[in-house]
Amino acid sequence: MTVVPPLELTHFQAFLLFAVVISVAFGFLGRRRSKDRVKYILWSLFLFLLVGIGIGWAMFPFSR
Amino acid sequence: MEDQPQNTARGGTQSAQSRTYDRSPGESRAFALGVAGWLLPGLGHALQFMWGRAVVVFLAVGLLVGAGASMKGNVFTRQGNDAFDTLGYIADLGTGSFYIFARVLETGGADVSHADGDYGTRLLATAGVLNLLAALHAYEAARGHKA
Repeated sequence: MTVVPPLELTHFQAFLLFAVVISVAFGFLGRRRSKDRVKYILWSLFLFLLVGIGIGWAMFPFSR
Repeated sequence: MEDQPQNTARGGTQSAQSRTYDRSPGESRAFALGVAGWLLPGLGHALQFMWGRAVVVFLAVGLLVGAGASMKGNVFTRQGNDAFDTLGYIADLGTGSFYIFARVLETGGADVSHADGDYGTRLLATAGVLNLLAALHAYEAARGHKA
């Protein structure tokens, strides 16, 4: 018996959840001022998405 | 002879006392804060009145553990079959008390036959590593080296 209902996410949703949570945590741990934190969070989130989607597309030709 | 103080590269002598690990009260307090941060995510920062970081670490680790367990990710146990299972167990243990939370949430067992379960396993491991990083940050902050 599971206590919570099973969570079903698509690949992109799971990836987005990971990227957002880690970016926010890194931003708060790595920077002290609010403005620096926001910039760091947005930049790291952008890089997470860029690299993740980039690797996804790079693997696309080998998936078939 | 080997126990004698050695000459350093700078030409001075380094006493045996200075080579031992510093166990000053400040160091012990920092270590305790690091352990507290590992046991309960965010506690190491909360005890240093870094409320924003404490809340974010608590929520981030909690969210990742909750999502990972709800996606039927693999919560590794001590009885691993290979080195990767052991590494997964170490990573999962990084969540501290939230490891128990993950075990409670996932009483139905893992299902990594689908992509969701595989993602869940990664999210759980990420939560552990993130919490270890946060605990290390709390330790360094307590020593005054960072933050």
